[in-house]
Amino acid sequence: MRDAYQDQLDELAASLAGMCDEVAVALDKATRALLESDLHLAEEVITEDIRVDELRDRAEEQAFALLALQAPVATDLRIVVSAIHGAGDIERMGDLALHVAQAARRRHPQPVLPAEVAPYFAEMGRVGCALARKAGEVIRSRDLAKAAELESDDDAMDDLHQHMFSVLMDRNWSHGVEPAVDITLLARFYERYADHAVAVARRIVYVVTGRMPGPLTV
Amino acid sequence: MTPDPLPRQLTDLTLLLADMATAAAVAMQHATTALLEGRERLAHQVITGDAEIDLLRARVEEVATDALLFHAPVAGDLRAAVAAIRAAGDLERMGDLALHVAEHTQRARPVPATVCADFAEMGRLAVAMARKAAEVARTRNVLLAVELAGDDDAMDGLHRRMFGVLMDPAWGEGVPAAVDLTLLARYYERYADHAVLVAREVVYAVTGQTPDVLPL
Repeated sequence: MRDAYQDQLDELAASLAGMCDEVAVALDKATRALLESDLHLAEEVITEDIRVDELRDRAEEQAFALLALQAPVATDLRIVVSAIHGAGDIERMGDLALHVAQAARRRHPQPVLPAEVAPYFAEMGRVGCALARKAGEVIRSRDLAKAAELESDDDAMDDLHQHMFSVLMDRNWSHGVEPAVDITLLARFYERYADHAVAVARRIVYVVTGRMPGPLTV
Repeated sequence: MTPDPLPRQLTDLTLLLADMATAAAVAMQHATTALLEGRERLAHQVITGDAEIDLLRARVEEVATDALLFHAPVAGDLRAAVAAIRAAGDLERMGDLALHVAEHTQRARPVPATVCADFAEMGRLAVAMARKAAEVARTRNVLLAVELAGDDDAMDGLHRRMFGVLMDPAWGEGVPAAVDLTLLARYYERYADHAVLVAREVVYAVTGQTPDVLPL
Protein backbone atom coordinates (compact mmCIF):
# COMPACT_ATOMS: atom_id res chain seq x y z
CA MET A 1 0.00 0.00 0.00
CA ARG A 2 1.29 3.42 -0.92
CA ASP A 3 0.91 6.17 1.62
CA ALA A 4 1.90 9.79 2.03
CA TYR A 5 5.03 8.76 3.91
CA GLN A 6 6.27 6.51 1.11
CA ASP A 7 5.48 9.28 -1.37
CA GLN A 8 7.64 11.68 0.62
CA LEU A 9 10.55 9.25 0.58
CA ASP A 10 10.14 8.81 -3.18
CA GLU A 11 10.02 12.56 -3.71
CA LEU A 12 13.25 12.95 -1.75
CA ALA A 13 14.96 10.36 -3.97
CA ALA A 14 13.56 12.05 -7.08
CA SER A 15 14.94 15.42 -5.90
CA LEU A 16 18.42 14.00 -5.42
CA ALA A 17 18.38 12.16 -8.74
CA GLY A 18 17.23 15.37 -10.41
CA MET A 19 20.17 17.20 -8.82
CA CYS A 20 22.51 14.60 -10.33
CA ASP A 21 21.11 15.23 -13.80
CA GLU A 22 21.45 18.96 -13.25
CA VAL A 23 25.15 18.76 -12.29
CA ALA A 24 25.82 16.36 -15.19
CA VAL A 25 24.51 19.02 -17.57
CA ALA A 26 26.58 21.66 -15.76
CA LEU A 27 29.80 19.68 -16.17
CA ASP A 28 29.03 18.91 -19.80
CA LYS A 29 28.48 22.60 -20.59
CA ALA A 30 31.48 23.69 -18.52
CA THR A 31 33.71 21.22 -20.34
CA ARG A 32 32.50 22.44 -23.72
CA ALA A 33 33.03 26.04 -22.58
CA LEU A 34 36.57 25.08 -21.61
CA LEU A 35 37.38 23.22 -24.83
CA GLU A 36 35.74 25.70 -27.20
CA SER A 37 36.52 28.90 -25.22
CA ASP A 38 32.79 29.57 -25.26
CA LEU A 39 32.14 32.51 -22.94
CA HIS A 40 28.39 32.37 -23.32
CA LEU A 41 28.26 28.74 -22.25
CA ALA A 42 30.61 29.40 -19.32
CA GLU A 43 28.35 32.18 -18.06
CA GLU A 44 25.32 29.95 -18.41
CA VAL A 45 26.91 27.42 -16.04
CA ILE A 46 27.87 30.17 -13.62
CA THR A 47 24.38 31.67 -13.42
CA GLU A 48 22.65 28.28 -13.33
CA ASP A 49 24.60 27.00 -10.31
CA ILE A 50 22.08 28.76 -8.07
CA ARG A 51 19.52 26.22 -9.31
CA VAL A 52 21.55 23.36 -7.86
CA ASP A 53 21.80 25.22 -4.56
CA GLU A 54 18.03 25.69 -4.54
CA LEU A 55 17.48 22.01 -5.28
CA ARG A 56 19.75 21.18 -2.38
CA ASP A 57 17.76 23.44 -0.06
CA ARG A 58 14.57 21.75 -1.19
CA ALA A 59 15.96 18.25 -0.69
CA GLU A 60 17.12 19.21 2.80
CA GLU A 61 13.70 20.62 3.65
CA GLN A 62 12.11 17.39 2.50
CA ALA A 63 14.57 15.40 4.63
CA PHE A 64 13.89 17.54 7.70
CA ALA A 65 10.14 17.29 7.23
CA LEU A 66 10.47 13.51 7.13
CA LEU A 67 12.62 13.42 10.26
CA ALA A 68 10.41 15.81 12.20
CA LEU A 69 6.99 14.51 11.18
CA GLN A 70 7.52 10.82 10.44
CA ALA A 71 10.39 9.88 12.77
CA PRO A 72 11.58 7.16 10.37
CA VAL A 73 13.38 4.09 11.69
CA ALA A 74 15.65 1.39 10.25
CA THR A 75 16.17 1.57 6.49
CA ASP A 76 14.01 4.66 6.12
CA LEU A 77 16.16 6.55 8.60
CA ARG A 78 19.26 5.47 6.69
CA ILE A 79 17.65 6.75 3.49
CA VAL A 80 17.01 10.17 4.95
CA VAL A 81 20.45 10.52 6.51
CA SER A 82 22.06 9.37 3.25
CA ALA A 83 19.97 11.90 1.35
CA ILE A 84 21.31 14.70 3.56
CA HIS A 85 24.86 13.59 2.79
CA GLY A 86 24.07 13.08 -0.88
CA ALA A 87 22.59 16.55 -1.26
CA GLY A 88 25.86 17.98 0.06
CA ASP A 89 27.98 15.89 -2.30
CA ILE A 90 25.91 16.72 -5.36
CA GLU A 91 25.87 20.43 -4.55
CA ARG A 92 29.66 20.28 -4.37
CA MET A 93 29.73 18.64 -7.81
CA GLY A 94 27.79 21.66 -9.08
CA ASP A 95 30.37 23.97 -7.49
CA LEU A 96 33.20 22.09 -9.17
CA ALA A 97 31.51 22.37 -12.58
CA LEU A 98 31.17 26.07 -11.79
CA HIS A 99 34.92 26.31 -11.10
CA VAL A 100 35.64 24.77 -14.51
CA ALA A 101 33.36 27.35 -16.13
CA GLN A 102 35.07 30.16 -14.18
CA ALA A 103 38.46 29.03 -15.49
CA ALA A 104 37.12 29.15 -19.05
CA ARG A 105 35.74 32.65 -18.45
CA ARG A 106 38.89 33.95 -16.76
CA ARG A 107 41.11 33.18 -19.74
CA HIS A 108 38.58 34.06 -22.45
CA PRO A 109 39.18 34.63 -25.37
CA GLN A 110 42.46 32.73 -24.88
CA PRO A 111 42.07 28.95 -24.70
CA VAL A 112 42.94 27.59 -21.23
CA LEU A 113 44.31 24.32 -22.56
CA PRO A 114 47.16 23.66 -24.97
CA ALA A 115 45.89 21.56 -27.89
CA GLU A 116 47.67 18.38 -26.83
CA VAL A 117 45.95 18.16 -23.43
CA ALA A 118 42.46 19.12 -24.64
CA PRO A 119 41.50 15.51 -25.50
CA TYR A 120 42.21 14.41 -21.91
CA PHE A 121 39.86 17.04 -20.58
CA ALA A 122 37.21 16.05 -23.12
CA GLU A 123 37.54 12.54 -21.72
CA MET A 124 37.47 13.68 -18.09
CA GLY A 125 34.33 15.64 -18.88
CA ARG A 126 32.74 12.61 -20.50
CA VAL A 127 33.62 10.31 -17.60
CA GLY A 128 32.48 12.91 -15.04
CA CYS A 129 29.08 13.45 -16.70
CA ALA A 130 28.55 9.70 -17.03
CA LEU A 131 29.35 9.27 -13.32
CA ALA A 132 26.83 11.94 -12.31
CA ARG A 133 24.11 10.42 -14.49
CA LYS A 134 24.88 6.97 -13.19
CA ALA A 135 24.72 8.23 -9.58
CA GLY A 136 21.25 9.59 -10.40
CA GLU A 137 20.21 6.20 -11.79
CA VAL A 138 21.53 4.43 -8.69
CA ILE A 139 19.46 6.75 -6.51
CA ARG A 140 16.35 5.95 -8.55
CA SER A 141 16.89 2.21 -8.94
CA ARG A 142 19.08 1.26 -5.93
CA ASP A 143 20.83 -1.04 -8.36
CA LEU A 144 23.91 -2.33 -6.55
CA ALA A 145 25.62 -3.59 -9.71
CA LYS A 146 25.35 -0.12 -11.18
CA ALA A 147 26.67 1.38 -7.93
CA ALA A 148 29.72 -0.88 -8.24
CA GLU A 149 30.27 0.40 -11.79
CA LEU A 150 30.87 3.88 -10.41
CA GLU A 151 33.93 2.60 -8.57
CA SER A 152 35.58 1.39 -11.79
CA ASP A 153 34.51 4.52 -13.70
CA ASP A 154 36.23 6.50 -10.97
CA ASP A 155 39.41 4.49 -11.53
CA ALA A 156 39.33 5.70 -15.14
CA MET A 157 39.10 9.28 -13.86
CA ASP A 158 42.01 8.71 -11.47
CA ASP A 159 44.10 7.36 -14.35
CA LEU A 160 43.35 10.43 -16.47
CA HIS A 161 44.21 12.65 -13.51
CA GLN A 162 47.50 10.86 -12.92
CA HIS A 163 48.33 11.03 -16.59
CA MET A 164 47.73 14.79 -16.64
CA PHE A 165 50.31 15.14 -13.89
CA SER A 166 52.91 13.12 -15.72
CA VAL A 167 52.38 15.36 -18.77
CA LEU A 168 52.87 18.50 -16.65
CA MET A 169 55.91 17.12 -14.84
CA ASP A 170 57.58 15.98 -18.05
CA ARG A 171 60.71 17.89 -19.03
CA ASN A 172 59.24 18.29 -22.52
CA TRP A 173 56.37 20.44 -21.19
CA SER A 174 56.81 23.62 -23.19
CA HIS A 175 53.84 25.79 -22.24
CA GLY A 176 55.23 27.35 -19.09
CA VAL A 177 53.87 27.77 -15.59
CA GLU A 178 50.56 29.54 -16.13
CA PRO A 179 48.75 26.81 -18.12
CA ALA A 180 50.36 24.20 -15.85
CA VAL A 181 48.80 25.83 -12.79
CA ASP A 182 45.40 26.07 -14.53
CA ILE A 183 45.56 22.44 -15.63
CA THR A 184 46.61 21.25 -12.16
CA LEU A 185 43.52 22.82 -10.62
CA LEU A 186 41.18 21.85 -13.44
CA ALA A 187 42.25 18.20 -13.32
CA ARG A 188 41.70 18.29 -9.58
CA PHE A 189 38.15 19.67 -10.07
CA TYR A 190 37.23 16.77 -12.37
CA GLU A 191 38.76 14.24 -10.04
CA ARG A 192 36.90 15.61 -7.01
CA TYR A 193 33.67 15.75 -9.00
CA ALA A 194 34.04 12.02 -9.66
CA ASP A 195 34.88 11.31 -6.01
CA HIS A 196 31.64 12.94 -4.89
CA ALA A 197 29.61 10.90 -7.40
CA VAL A 198 31.19 7.75 -5.95
CA ALA A 199 30.35 8.90 -2.42
CA VAL A 200 26.69 9.29 -3.45
CA ALA A 201 26.63 5.74 -4.82
CA ARG A 202 28.33 4.38 -1.70
CA ARG A 203 25.63 5.88 0.47
CA ILE A 204 23.00 4.10 -1.59
CA VAL A 205 24.85 0.81 -1.14
CA TYR A 206 24.80 1.54 2.58
CA VAL A 207 21.06 2.17 2.48
CA VAL A 208 20.41 -1.14 0.75
CA THR A 209 22.94 -3.38 2.50
CA GLY A 210 23.59 -1.61 5.81
CA ARG A 211 27.28 -1.71 4.95
CA MET A 212 29.51 1.00 3.58
CA PRO A 213 31.51 -0.31 0.60
CA GLY A 214 34.35 2.17 1.05
CA PRO A 215 35.51 5.22 2.97
CA LEU A 216 32.73 7.59 4.00
CA THR A 217 34.41 10.62 2.57
CA VAL A 218 36.43 10.46 -0.56
CA MET B 1 20.86 -1.54 26.13
CA THR B 2 18.84 1.56 26.94
CA PRO B 3 19.80 4.50 24.79
CA ASP B 4 21.20 7.55 26.53
CA PRO B 5 18.76 10.40 27.13
CA LEU B 6 18.72 13.00 24.36
CA PRO B 7 20.46 15.84 26.28
CA ARG B 8 23.33 13.47 27.04
CA GLN B 9 23.60 12.47 23.37
CA LEU B 10 23.61 16.10 22.25
CA THR B 11 26.34 16.92 24.77
CA ASP B 12 28.34 13.94 23.52
CA LEU B 13 27.99 15.23 19.95
CA THR B 14 29.24 18.65 20.98
CA LEU B 15 32.30 17.15 22.65
CA LEU B 16 33.01 14.75 19.79
CA LEU B 17 32.90 17.59 17.25
CA ALA B 18 35.23 19.71 19.39
CA ASP B 19 37.62 16.74 19.67
CA MET B 20 37.51 16.23 15.91
CA ALA B 21 38.26 19.90 15.26
CA THR B 22 41.15 19.83 17.72
CA ALA B 23 42.51 16.66 16.10
CA ALA B 24 42.24 18.27 12.65
CA ALA B 25 44.09 21.35 13.99
CA VAL B 26 46.90 19.24 15.42
CA ALA B 27 47.12 17.24 12.18
CA MET B 28 47.49 20.40 10.08
CA GLN B 29 50.01 21.88 12.51
CA HIS B 30 52.16 18.76 12.30
CA ALA B 31 51.69 18.44 8.55
CA THR B 32 52.85 22.03 8.02
CA THR B 33 55.89 21.57 10.25
CA ALA B 34 56.71 18.32 8.47
CA LEU B 35 56.34 20.02 5.09
CA LEU B 36 58.50 23.03 5.87
CA GLU B 37 61.17 21.22 7.87
CA GLY B 38 61.20 18.02 5.80
CA ARG B 39 60.35 15.89 8.82
CA GLU B 40 59.26 12.58 7.38
CA ARG B 41 58.49 10.83 10.66
CA LEU B 42 56.16 13.62 11.67
CA ALA B 43 54.48 13.39 8.24
CA HIS B 44 54.08 9.67 8.72
CA GLN B 45 52.48 10.31 12.10
CA VAL B 46 49.88 12.61 10.49
CA ILE B 47 49.12 10.01 7.82
CA THR B 48 48.59 7.15 10.26
CA GLY B 49 46.81 9.43 12.77
CA ASP B 50 44.07 10.25 10.27
CA ALA B 51 42.31 6.97 11.06
CA GLU B 52 41.53 8.38 14.50
CA ILE B 53 39.63 11.31 13.00
CA ASP B 54 37.73 8.86 10.78
CA LEU B 55 36.74 6.88 13.86
CA LEU B 56 35.50 10.00 15.61
CA ARG B 57 33.40 10.77 12.56
CA ALA B 58 31.85 7.30 12.60
CA ARG B 59 31.11 7.82 16.30
CA VAL B 60 29.37 11.15 15.59
CA GLU B 61 27.17 9.51 12.97
CA GLU B 62 26.36 6.68 15.34
CA VAL B 63 25.37 8.95 18.23
CA ALA B 64 23.42 11.32 15.99
CA THR B 65 21.58 8.46 14.27
CA ASP B 66 20.74 6.95 17.66
CA ALA B 67 19.40 10.32 18.77
CA LEU B 68 17.16 10.45 15.70
CA LEU B 69 16.11 6.83 16.08
CA PHE B 70 15.29 6.68 19.79
CA HIS B 71 14.18 10.21 20.55
CA ALA B 72 12.77 11.55 17.27
CA PRO B 73 13.92 15.05 18.24
CA VAL B 74 12.26 18.14 16.78
CA ALA B 75 13.19 21.82 16.27
CA GLY B 76 16.57 22.82 17.75
CA ASP B 77 17.45 19.30 18.88
CA LEU B 78 16.75 17.89 15.43
CA ARG B 79 18.90 20.61 13.88
CA ALA B 80 21.70 19.85 16.35
CA ALA B 81 21.71 16.14 15.41
CA VAL B 82 21.68 16.78 11.66
CA ALA B 83 24.20 19.63 11.91
CA ALA B 84 26.54 17.30 13.83
CA ILE B 85 26.37 14.71 11.05
CA ARG B 86 27.22 17.33 8.43
CA ALA B 87 29.92 19.07 10.47
CA ALA B 88 31.59 15.71 11.12
CA GLY B 89 31.86 15.25 7.34
CA ASP B 90 33.62 18.61 7.02
CA LEU B 91 35.97 17.84 9.91
CA GLU B 92 36.89 14.47 8.48
CA ARG B 93 37.70 16.19 5.21
CA MET B 94 39.95 18.65 7.08
CA GLY B 95 41.84 15.65 8.43
CA ASP B 96 42.17 14.30 4.87
CA LEU B 97 43.54 17.62 3.64
CA ALA B 98 46.13 17.69 6.44
CA LEU B 99 47.02 14.16 5.33
CA HIS B 100 47.49 15.37 1.74
CA VAL B 101 49.86 18.08 2.96
CA ALA B 102 51.79 15.44 4.93
CA GLU B 103 51.98 13.21 1.83
CA HIS B 104 53.74 16.01 -0.04
CA THR B 105 56.51 15.95 2.57
CA GLN B 106 57.32 12.42 1.50
CA ARG B 107 58.05 13.48 -2.06
CA ALA B 108 61.47 14.43 -3.23
CA ARG B 109 60.92 18.18 -3.73
CA PRO B 110 61.13 20.44 -0.69
CA VAL B 111 59.11 23.68 -0.68
CA PRO B 112 61.32 26.39 -2.28
CA ALA B 113 62.77 28.78 0.32
CA THR B 114 61.13 31.76 -1.44
CA VAL B 115 57.62 30.61 -0.49
CA CYS B 116 58.22 28.93 2.89
CA ALA B 117 57.01 31.99 4.78
CA ASP B 118 53.76 31.99 2.77
CA PHE B 119 53.07 28.36 3.59
CA ALA B 120 53.98 28.89 7.23
CA GLU B 121 51.38 31.66 7.31
CA MET B 122 48.72 29.55 5.58
CA GLY B 123 49.45 26.78 8.07
CA ARG B 124 49.22 29.13 11.03
CA LEU B 125 45.90 30.55 9.86
CA ALA B 126 44.46 27.11 9.03
CA VAL B 127 45.33 25.76 12.48
CA ALA B 128 43.92 28.87 14.19
CA MET B 129 40.68 28.44 12.23
CA ALA B 130 40.35 24.79 13.20
CA ARG B 131 40.95 25.69 16.84
CA LYS B 132 38.31 28.39 16.58
CA ALA B 133 35.91 25.89 15.02
CA ALA B 134 36.58 23.59 18.00
CA GLU B 135 35.76 26.46 20.35
CA VAL B 136 32.58 27.22 18.39
CA ALA B 137 31.53 23.56 18.53
CA ARG B 138 32.18 23.42 22.28
CA THR B 139 30.59 26.74 23.28
CA ARG B 140 28.03 27.18 20.48
CA ASN B 141 29.20 30.78 20.37
CA VAL B 142 27.54 32.30 17.31
CA LEU B 143 29.65 35.49 17.35
CA LEU B 144 32.86 33.49 17.26
CA ALA B 145 31.41 31.43 14.41
CA VAL B 146 30.88 34.58 12.38
CA GLU B 147 34.54 35.57 12.92
CA LEU B 148 35.61 32.53 10.93
CA ALA B 149 34.26 34.07 7.73
CA GLY B 150 36.72 36.96 8.17
CA ASP B 151 39.59 34.54 8.79
CA ASP B 152 38.63 32.77 5.58
CA ASP B 153 38.93 36.02 3.64
CA ALA B 154 42.50 36.25 4.92
CA MET B 155 43.16 32.69 3.71
CA ASP B 156 41.71 33.51 0.30
CA GLY B 157 44.06 36.50 0.17
CA LEU B 158 47.08 34.29 0.91
CA HIS B 159 45.88 31.79 -1.68
CA ARG B 160 45.55 34.47 -4.36
CA ARG B 161 48.95 35.85 -3.43
CA MET B 162 50.47 32.43 -3.97
CA PHE B 163 49.06 32.32 -7.50
CA GLY B 164 50.55 35.73 -8.16
CA VAL B 165 53.95 34.40 -7.09
CA LEU B 166 53.66 31.28 -9.25
CA MET B 167 52.43 33.16 -12.32
CA ASP B 168 55.09 35.85 -12.03
CA PRO B 169 57.58 35.80 -14.93
CA ALA B 170 60.30 35.93 -12.27
CA TRP B 171 59.25 32.49 -10.91
CA GLY B 172 62.45 30.52 -11.16
CA GLU B 173 61.61 27.17 -9.59
CA GLY B 174 60.17 25.51 -12.67
CA VAL B 175 56.86 23.88 -13.56
CA PRO B 176 56.94 20.75 -11.32
CA ALA B 177 57.43 22.90 -8.20
CA ALA B 178 54.62 25.22 -9.35
CA VAL B 179 52.29 22.23 -9.80
CA ASP B 180 53.10 20.95 -6.28
CA LEU B 181 52.57 24.34 -4.70
CA THR B 182 49.31 24.90 -6.57
CA LEU B 183 47.89 21.77 -4.99
CA LEU B 184 49.34 22.50 -1.56
CA ALA B 185 47.88 26.00 -1.52
CA ARG B 186 44.55 24.53 -2.59
CA TYR B 187 44.61 22.08 0.35
CA TYR B 188 45.03 24.92 2.84
CA GLU B 189 42.31 26.96 1.20
CA ARG B 190 39.84 24.06 1.21
CA TYR B 191 40.72 23.22 4.81
CA ALA B 192 39.77 26.78 5.76
CA ASP B 193 36.53 26.52 3.77
CA HIS B 194 35.55 23.43 5.74
CA ALA B 195 36.34 25.15 9.06
CA VAL B 196 33.89 27.88 8.01
CA LEU B 197 31.29 25.24 7.17
CA VAL B 198 31.67 23.62 10.59
CA ALA B 199 30.97 26.95 12.26
CA ARG B 200 28.05 27.45 9.89
CA GLU B 201 26.52 24.18 11.02
CA VAL B 202 26.78 25.28 14.64
CA VAL B 203 25.08 28.60 13.83
CA TYR B 204 22.38 26.69 12.02
CA ALA B 205 21.86 24.31 14.94
CA VAL B 206 21.60 27.19 17.42
CA THR B 207 19.56 29.69 15.41
CA GLY B 208 17.97 27.81 12.53
CA GLN B 209 19.63 30.33 10.21
CA THR B 210 22.80 30.56 8.18
CA PRO B 211 25.37 33.14 9.32
CA ASP B 212 24.84 35.44 6.30
CA VAL B 213 21.23 36.23 7.21
CA LEU B 214 22.01 37.01 10.84
CA PRO B 215 22.15 40.73 11.72
CA LEU B 216 25.72 40.54 13.00
